[in-house]
Amino acid sequence: MDLGLAAVRLYIGIVLAAALALAGVLLGVWWSPFVVGLALGALDRRARVAVPVGAAIGLLAWAIPLAAVHIQYGLGPTAQSLAAIMGFDHRGAVPVVLTLLVGTLLGATGAWLVSAARFMAPGRSG
Amino acid sequence: MNLAGALILAAAVLYVTFFPAAGLPALGPAFNPTTGAWTMAADAQVTNRMLHIAGLRQPVSVVLERDGTAHISAQTDHDLFLATGYVHARFRLFQMDLMRRQGAGRLSEVVGKAAVDSDRFELQLGLLRTAQAEWAQLQTDDQSRQALVAYAQGVNDRIAEAESMHQLDAMFTLLGYQPQSWSPIDSLLVKGDMTQTLNFTDTPLVMALLKKSLGADLSSEWFPILPPNQQSPYDIGPYAKPTIGPIETMSEVTDAEAQSAAALHQRLAALPAGLVAKGGASNNWAVGGAKSTSGGALLAGDPHLHLTLPAIWFQLTMDSPGYHAAGVGLPGTPIVLIGHNEHIAWTLTDAQNQQTFFYQEHEDAAHPGRYLWNGSWQNYKTVSYEIPVQGAKTQHLDVKLSVHGPVISERGQTTSVWWTGNLPSQDLGVLLRIGQAGNFAEFRNALRGWLAPTHNFIYADDRGNIGLISAGYYPLVAKGQPWLPMAGTGEFDVIGTIPFDDIPQAYNPPDNILWSANQRQVTSSYPYYIGTASNFFDAGYRANEIHRVLSQPGKLSADDMSALQTDTRDSLAAEIVPVLLQSLSKERLNAKESAAVDLLRSWDFRMETNSAAATIWWYFWGWYLDETFKPWWKSRAVPVDYGVVFNALGQDLEAWTLHDPGNRAFSAPGVGSRTAPDALRKSFHRLIGDAAKLLGPEPRSWSYGKVHQRVLENLAQISGLNYGPRPDRGDANTPLAAGGYPSTDGPSWRMVVDWGAQTFQAIYPGGQSENPASDWYTDRVDTWWAGKLNPMLTWDEASSAAGAWTWDLRP
Repeated sequence: MDLGLAAVRLYIGIVLAAALALAGVLLGVWWSPFVVGLALGALDRRARVAVPVGAAIGLLAWAIPLAAVHIQYGLGPTAQSLAAIMGFDHRGAVPVVLTLLVGTLLGATGAWLVSAARFMAPGRSG
Repeated sequence: MNLAGALILAAAVLYVTFFPAAGLPALGPAFNPTTGAWTMAADAQVTNRMLHIAGLRQPVSVVLERDGTAHISAQTDHDLFLATGYVHARFRLFQMDLMRRQGAGRLSEVVGKAAVDSDRFELQLGLLRTAQAEWAQLQTDDQSRQALVAYAQGVNDRIAEAESMHQLDAMFTLLGYQPQSWSPIDSLLVKGDMTQTLNFTDTPLVMALLKKSLGADLSSEWFPILPPNQQSPYDIGPYAKPTIGPIETMSEVTDAEAQSAAALHQRLAALPAGLVAKGGASNNWAVGGAKSTSGGALLAGDPHLHLTLPAIWFQLTMDSPGYHAAGVGLPGTPIVLIGHNEHIAWTLTDAQNQQTFFYQEHEDAAHPGRYLWNGSWQNYKTVSYEIPVQGAKTQHLDVKLSVHGPVISERGQTTSVWWTGNLPSQDLGVLLRIGQAGNFAEFRNALRGWLAPTHNFIYADDRGNIGLISAGYYPLVAKGQPWLPMAGTGEFDVIGTIPFDDIPQAYNPPDNILWSANQRQVTSSYPYYIGTASNFFDAGYRANEIHRVLSQPGKLSADDMSALQTDTRDSLAAEIVPVLLQSLSKERLNAKESAAVDLLRSWDFRMETNSAAATIWWYFWGWYLDETFKPWWKSRAVPVDYGVVFNALGQDLEAWTLHDPGNRAFSAPGVGSRTAPDALRKSFHRLIGDAAKLLGPEPRSWSYGKVHQRVLENLAQISGLNYGPRPDRGDANTPLAAGGYPSTDGPSWRMVVDWGAQTFQAIYPGGQSENPASDWYTDRVDTWWAGKLNPMLTWDEASSAAGAWTWDLRP
């Protein structure tokens, strides 16, 4: 499969961005997917590419540590407790979905913001 | 358009992730999987660990039993208290933080406007000032000062560790704040919270309103100083001669006084639960070696408190060269409050004597900002506070202090409060000395320093001895009616306390039993005023039942102690139901009423969940009280909620039903001339009709569990983290205390000690951890609910028990 240099660069960039976002979250910089999303938007101004990729990176950056917590300790009682604290009885899926949604939105909005700004910038083409 | 949309969405996402909004915490820090609330999953795990703890001088070993009971063994006293602070904070830091904030008036800093009233009141009342004064009193070489300092360091070690490992309790994350350093004064505040919960009362205000509305004759008759019913005092004398003159009368309650009392009463009634004591309920008793099957002394105790998750208690064994005690303590304090050492065991109940006195300060326009006291005009002292409020402006509060105490109301009249909880009381030092005591003389001597709250400390030792001392400060006033607000001009001031040798106490009584259940401890010949029947000694039903069981012929075992702790026999029902049945003997009854009578006739007076008779009785008693007193309340426009004096009126109704059926109280305005049997019959008919509507037509199906439930409430008032409600047995009159519907208070810790068999057993509802994701959040509840006890293991037993973890704490 001939990917072409630009595509290879993009894929490498995506992988690096994902690794950066994940590392940031693991180090406690929970908003790193937003910053990475900004960078993605700068890398590829096509919103149809940058936004889903940013969202996916945000999702993964928050989902992987969450999965690690689950594997190590089990998330069930914690999820149920958080749901109870939030007023959702003991429906543990609610905080899990909320958590993943936050990660996803951080990545997606960062990417969308910069790609939209670049789209509006003077001298744009294509 | 595209950019605008992106900007708006990004701004919204960033806002809700960085800042609290719409009742939700900032979502980023709260829910991220690395440092957010998900860390409670890791926090819930306990493993064997080796830890370096700053401030330790020697290694310390901690063994955690399968249920989290901690055994701390240290080579120095300093290290023991430091490690205790670390262990408490490891499992209860958020609870500790809430408790110190409550006492210090700093709750609204983290929960917002909802807590402002509580904070303002606490700062007025003065727990913080008292804690500061207690701390200032302690000499540098005082053992309790050293314990407090070491304990604080242990707590702070844990705070630092938890912050560095992102393992702070999830509630800190969700509320968006970090705990501040722990100080010794914080521990004294936690102690102050308990004192307030147990003995800050507003009953003199209530009595003033009752006297004004009901009139002097009815209020004196219905709310007497001595209980109108038969009770079971444990100290029957002989007593010392009186050292003060008889209480003199004072003028009637004026309109202005009544208005002032009403305003203050309403303010106090609106405060969150726990800030004003609403009557106590705890049991303890001891049996001398001569009356026990094992030949050794027996001791049992179950303090009744608001049942919360996490529980108010933390179970531990503390062991060092200078201190050895096993039992429970309050997280936030460095000692065992209830428990045993190698030679003695002790537990306590609230003593209930009047410890709150209200004074109306005399002011006039010619002396603005001053009050008249002992013939001269005095300046109020003023203390100022800033109250930070989360999400709102910081509030300023000036607290005025008279010689009597803080001014807590200036509506109508300026009212200040004298409260024993504001006397610096070195309770921690007393408890340290109790833990170190080896015999009754040392135990009793230790209690000389105990001021507040007054408690019935019961004792049993390894030589078969038993004792009971109602230790604390018993305020004496020179004259006046201390059960009402008094003039603050000096003549009615508190002039001291009952001498220690004269306070209620007993040691090795001839019948080999001692008991307390918040009843008046002494007989009518006791020479001192200690409070009225409604301020707020228990009505005595639990004490009567405990005394009835203990005084039966034969010897008693530890199993008998445990059974008595879960005894559901309502001794009031045992008195009243036969009279009710007698009054109905010639009455025409319908089918439902006949079925109800049959149920009552065969009832053993036990408030069990499957008992329909228990339901009938409990509804009946409420109806009977209503039938007798509600017309008076209506006709006299009594401004006090009827439920506030339910307990006092019940004692009257019991006494009149049994001994004075023609009492005028049964003939309220508008109901005509009646006797007790008339009111009994009418109440019964009405109850059956109403119960049928509520519970169905068949009385046999009205099981008590349908109407009586118990709930353990989350301390942070998160209802989703409550346990229950779940049907439960008992009522307010049974040794297994379970008043309220649903019941939220009850036996917060049950302990049974048999020195002959050398068995120590206990349980509390809840678990050692405040983390709701932990197995130790509610793991003890089912055992407690079933009325069972767990063995209190020794260090050796604990360390070799299956499922135990060990922490090796190193300097």
